[in-house]
Amino acid sequence: MSVKSQTYRSYLLKQKIVPYLFLTPNLIIFSIFIILPAFIGIYYSFTNMSLFTFGTPDIIGFDNYRALWSNEEFKAALWNTIKLVLVTVPLMFASSLLVATLLVQPIKAKGFFRAIYYWPVMISAIVVGIIWQWILSQDFGLFNAILTGLGFDPIRTFINPTFAWWSVVFAIVWSRTGYYMIIFVGALLSIPETLYEAAEMDGANKFQKFCFITYPSLRAARLMVFILVTMEIFKIYPLVVTLTGGGPFDATEFTVQHIYETAFQRYNIGLASAMSVVMLLIVTLFTGFNFFMSRRGENK
Amino acid sequence: MKKNIWTNYLIAALLVVVFLVPVIYILLSSFKPINELFTNTPAFFPRKWTFDNYRGALATGNFTKYIFNSFIVAITSTFLAVIINTMSGYALAKFRFKGDTVIMIMILSTIMLPLEIIMVPIFQVLKFFGLYNSLWALIIPPAATPTGIFLMRQYLLTIPDEIIQSARIDGASEWKIFTKIILPNAKPAIATLAIFSFMWRWNDYVWPLIAISDPKKYTLQLAIANLTGEFGTDYNSVLAISAVSMIPMLIVFIIFQRQFVQGTMDSGMKG
Repeated sequence: MSVKSQTYRSYLLKQKIVPYLFLTPNLIIFSIFIILPAFIGIYYSFTNMSLFTFGTPDIIGFDNYRALWSNEEFKAALWNTIKLVLVTVPLMFASSLLVATLLVQPIKAKGFFRAIYYWPVMISAIVVGIIWQWILSQDFGLFNAILTGLGFDPIRTFINPTFAWWSVVFAIVWSRTGYYMIIFVGALLSIPETLYEAAEMDGANKFQKFCFITYPSLRAARLMVFILVTMEIFKIYPLVVTLTGGGPFDATEFTVQHIYETAFQRYNIGLASAMSVVMLLIVTLFTGFNFFMSRRGENK
Repeated sequence: MKKNIWTNYLIAALLVVVFLVPVIYILLSSFKPINELFTNTPAFFPRKWTFDNYRGALATGNFTKYIFNSFIVAITSTFLAVIINTMSGYALAKFRFKGDTVIMIMILSTIMLPLEIIMVPIFQVLKFFGLYNSLWALIIPPAATPTGIFLMRQYLLTIPDEIIQSARIDGASEWKIFTKIILPNAKPAIATLAIFSFMWRWNDYVWPLIAISDPKKYTLQLAIANLTGEFGTDYNSVLAISAVSMIPMLIVFIIFQRQFVQGTMDSGMKG
């Protein structure tokens, strides 16, 4: 290099500092607004902190965690959330893969269809809640009007806990299928056509082609979708605010809402923080399990 | 074969009904007079079109203010997000330095700490820094996003090192290289990040919920949610405001559809 060694050395020094400078704004924000709160939250979970504690709260050891163990409301909300994950993840998986499969068929106006199916992704969870609450509204909704029009009895939609719960599932799948559909379309298009041609020559039928070519080839996309959907459903809250409000009788109250209410309506920051820690462990367990299962599949 | 194609079109059309009709029904409902809204025999189309719901919404709430706040937050935060996430993406794509793996893992791990789970301590942190009830709380913290960093990093890896090296030999400062070479060359990825960021901020509910209690600082989503909660559901206004809140996203979507699809594929596949 035709640069003098003195300047070259200062150039090297500068090169060492520069990347850190470029990273600084992001790292400051992450440190202050994600990592610091995470540690504060763990600390709070061992204290009797309330929303009105000024100064330092008392350390009370594992009392909050012990209280959680016998807290029926929290356990109900947590179990409700886990059930929602277990039910919604496979449904979302199936619906987005199905729509994606349709979009890689030789049909015209693919872009048009794709845009329409993707559109609900752009609508805020709050408004998605409003849309379905209005359509499913017991007295004024289109849903019950159609039912009565067909000669059925109207359903007591948001008074019926089971119906309300499934309406949450439906609204999630309706609003998010478009997003995961795109991930699957990308993955489906990257499967080499020759694989299918070879299978056809061997006389494989459609179902066999799906089982032995399509499904195994989607491993990376599958893991991605599993983890994203699991995370998304564990933190569900805004949709519920406008769709059901958590009711009837807490049938659609999930963990985040319960944590929010414990902290900001019952002012018990310590207990709410313990709930957050428990939830974080469970989310990590679920995503870790997904990851582990997919890795195991890889080794076989 | 022929029959197969028709089944495909039939399913495609059916899905159009499933995904599009609910939204259209809400838009149409926002133009119905009250007696057509609150009936147990609702029609799909308004029999009589009216702007009363829109007028009512404007009269009761401070809705022009909320729309204004949402725009300020979405635009400013997006601008900030583009700058700082491109900077980080550049550092991670084009420099080798001590601790780069550690920083990468740290950024990755923030994905596992969603705001919804740590909202209680975040609330305390916002108060401590005087950001409570400030729109800055909705602009600065969410601007740093791991997804954005990865998107930019993946894209910037494709820019050849030679351009950067030759600029350095010409004596350009590192900041100048960033603004004059990296930013212009990253336009497609920046467009993707910008529209996603705009959507995230425009549709956001949880950050405003934690950070804002002053009605003058409400964003549109927070206002809609509070309107459904406190007054029972004031549907005629809510429908009109919900319709209005979808319009900016609809425009952005029509213009940038390609970027949305590409962005989803990239973030999904490369994560």
